[in-house]
Amino acid sequence: MRSTKDQIKKLSLSAIGFVFLLYVYFTFFLGPLNRSRDGMLLKIKDLQSKLDSSKEEMTKAVKLEQRAKTSTSRFAALKAFNPEGAPIAWFPPRIRAFFADQQIDKAVARLEGSSGFKQAELSEWMKYSWIIDLPRADYGTLGRAIAELENTNPLLSITRLSIHTLPEQPQFQHVDLAAVNVIEKK
Amino acid sequence: MALHLNLFHEEILEQRQRQRDPLKIGMIALVVCGVSLFLYYTWNAYQTLEIKSRLTTVERAWKKIEPRVTAAQKRVADLESLIKTTRALDDYIDNRFFWAPFLQNVSRCVAPNTQLTNFTGVLLDENKGINVSIEGVAAGREPRSVAEDLRQMLLEQLGQTYSEVKAEFKTLEDLDTVVNVGGTHMATAHYVLTVNFNSAPEPKPAKSPASPRARK
Repeated sequence: MRSTKDQIKKLSLSAIGFVFLLYVYFTFFLGPLNRSRDGMLLKIKDLQSKLDSSKEEMTKAVKLEQRAKTSTSRFAALKAFNPEGAPIAWFPPRIRAFFADQQIDKAVARLEGSSGFKQAELSEWMKYSWIIDLPRADYGTLGRAIAELENTNPLLSITRLSIHTLPEQPQFQHVDLAAVNVIEKK
Repeated sequence: MALHLNLFHEEILEQRQRQRDPLKIGMIALVVCGVSLFLYYTWNAYQTLEIKSRLTTVERAWKKIEPRVTAAQKRVADLESLIKTTRALDDYIDNRFFWAPFLQNVSRCVAPNTQLTNFTGVLLDENKGINVSIEGVAAGREPRSVAEDLRQMLLEQLGQTYSEVKAEFKTLEDLDTVVNVGGTHMATAHYVLTVNFNSAPEPKPAKSPASPRARK
């Protein structure tokens, strides 16, 4: 049986129509549907992993809270060493009172400068450099006072110590201290 | 052989041709294909709807838990930062150089016939090195040896606590002044001592491994 010319024409048109139908089907129906489904699956996967990790995060937070108790209290204690307000307002009077308690009068503290830390962990803390002048002290009392100062002020470090005999009173000395105090930024 | 005449043969041929019409067959195939595609699409749409409902459930669960998770994450970050800061501060505190014990050591070295007139100690940056300059007057029959005794004492005393101790005379010169110490007139010498040391204690030598052979 041989197809007529008209039949061949109709068949070709049908084939073209079929191809067009497939194109429309995949491009405008199945394609977007699959894309949206894949997107949703990805979102579900992402959320599911977040949900799974969230449980771990919360457990970790609880465990860390328990482990960090010592650090938290230590940190609070270290912070409490320095009162609120500008250091220039409270440090010199505190030093004067401290040395007066140690039988060394007329102590004067002057702010020399301040600088930050290089370590990222201490970016919220500053180093304040002070010059402490003790015009009249005797060696034994000075030693005890320095010991007390170093023991009671863990955030204070003496970087330079200079002791000179007073010519007219050889039993006494003039003392200069350079000290660095670590203070939290406000 | 009997003659058989089919008078309907043209009609039958036409009917057969109608049945085998490729256009008709093509249309049927197209319809079947279309129905299959439609069913496949419907199946996919159903699955997508199911996934959408799953997504809604998960989203609802996440929305419920998200504030708590965010708070927990923030708390963890805060705590970790706090722990690191506390550790860094503790390191800073532990690595301080304490001057009071050093002054005590120096006072132990100073004999009654030695006087210190100037003392300057400087902490050299982060490497824990300490530089001290001690100036004074030594009195005795041989004042230079008294000053040397002080230097030796400083080396001995400081060596017990610190490492890399060095004590050297920068200046040591006789003075014309004669002083009275304990009722005896003594010659004097002026000295300037430079003392360098590291605040870290001397590392202890490692224990030698036990001899594998038992003593006989």
